[in-house]
Amino acid sequence: MPLEDPSELLRKETRVALGAVPHGLSGGTLDQDCWQLDADEFLLRNGASHYFHYRKGKGVTIERGAGADVSGEALWLGGSVYSAAACINGFMPIHASAVCHGGKVYAFTGASGAGKSTLVTALAARGLALFCDDTLVLDLTDPDRLLCLPGHKRLKLTPEALGLTDAEKQEKVGKGIDKYYAAPARTYSGPPLALAKLVFLEIGANFAIGEITGAKRMSRLADDHYTAQHFAAARQFGPAEQFAHLARLANQIAMARFERPCDIAQFNAGVDLVQAYIEADTRQPR
Amino acid sequence: MKSTVLHKQTAKFSETQIDDEFVVMVLDSGDFFSLAGTAGSIWGLIDGSRSRDAIVAALAEAYEVLAADIAGDVDDFLGALCDAKLIVEA
Repeated sequence: MPLEDPSELLRKETRVALGAVPHGLSGGTLDQDCWQLDADEFLLRNGASHYFHYRKGKGVTIERGAGADVSGEALWLGGSVYSAAACINGFMPIHASAVCHGGKVYAFTGASGAGKSTLVTALAARGLALFCDDTLVLDLTDPDRLLCLPGHKRLKLTPEALGLTDAEKQEKVGKGIDKYYAAPARTYSGPPLALAKLVFLEIGANFAIGEITGAKRMSRLADDHYTAQHFAAARQFGPAEQFAHLARLANQIAMARFERPCDIAQFNAGVDLVQAYIEADTRQPR
Repeated sequence: MKSTVLHKQTAKFSETQIDDEFVVMVLDSGDFFSLAGTAGSIWGLIDGSRSRDAIVAALAEAYEVLAADIAGDVDDFLGALCDAKLIVEA
């Protein structure tokens, strides 16, 4: 029997219902604005009375207490809840936005505000299909290669990024969040694809793209984003297993760093450089 | 150490090779070591069959230098590996 399509599996696993949920997973009550992941369950408490509960095989249940901010619900569902569900189901989400070209995925990572979404939107306007925004989910099932699941989140951009990329502006993301949903020029929808490169976005004096080699690839994998925290909580690796996991990723993920000045006036020059880099990379024999 | 065979204490660490570098993690402490260049070469030569002298000779041949010129540095590095309990003489 063929294995279920991983994207479809996660779509089914993250179906949403409203109802009562436990307020803690191991006795007691979860603190406000905290999450807990325990075996096949995840609980998130947003504010005083807004709970998101996921259980493997049962989907997501939302409990909306008095004063729950429903306007931001989609963000929690697409963000923390989806990330936790992915981890519980054996996938590995990473904090990255990506495009695809030549049948492979080029992912960009960096701290929040580093310009991941803006860059991939600009690349999409140049014909490279947007693969995912903000979270890239990796399928680790095949020990010999990493596959990337197409994105599940809607693209979100700041007003400044909308101006830089000419993406179609849609509704506001939520109360108190200065971002808008946006429609990229081109989006990928299809089966999972192999990861060609993970590019780290950095601010520097000049434009440069360089490969990351050797042990630096392993140290670059250190991440305190919530996606990494969920993965660690789901896997409960011991030191040797954690090392083996990092070693696998470091050996299987080609990495590069993209340095560019923090200057909006030079934004398109940076996009030119990245586009040329990707197009040259896809022409390289593997 | 000169004539006894050097062994890695494989139960005490995990290692991987990334490109031409070795990365070693001590399991008890979680400390990481990155071994590149000649350090990586020496680490690769510690295979449970070579003595310190054999390692110096192999390294000298590989880098086309005199064994006497590198012996001191090799001793320092092997001593550091012993101190870190990554290798042992037997």
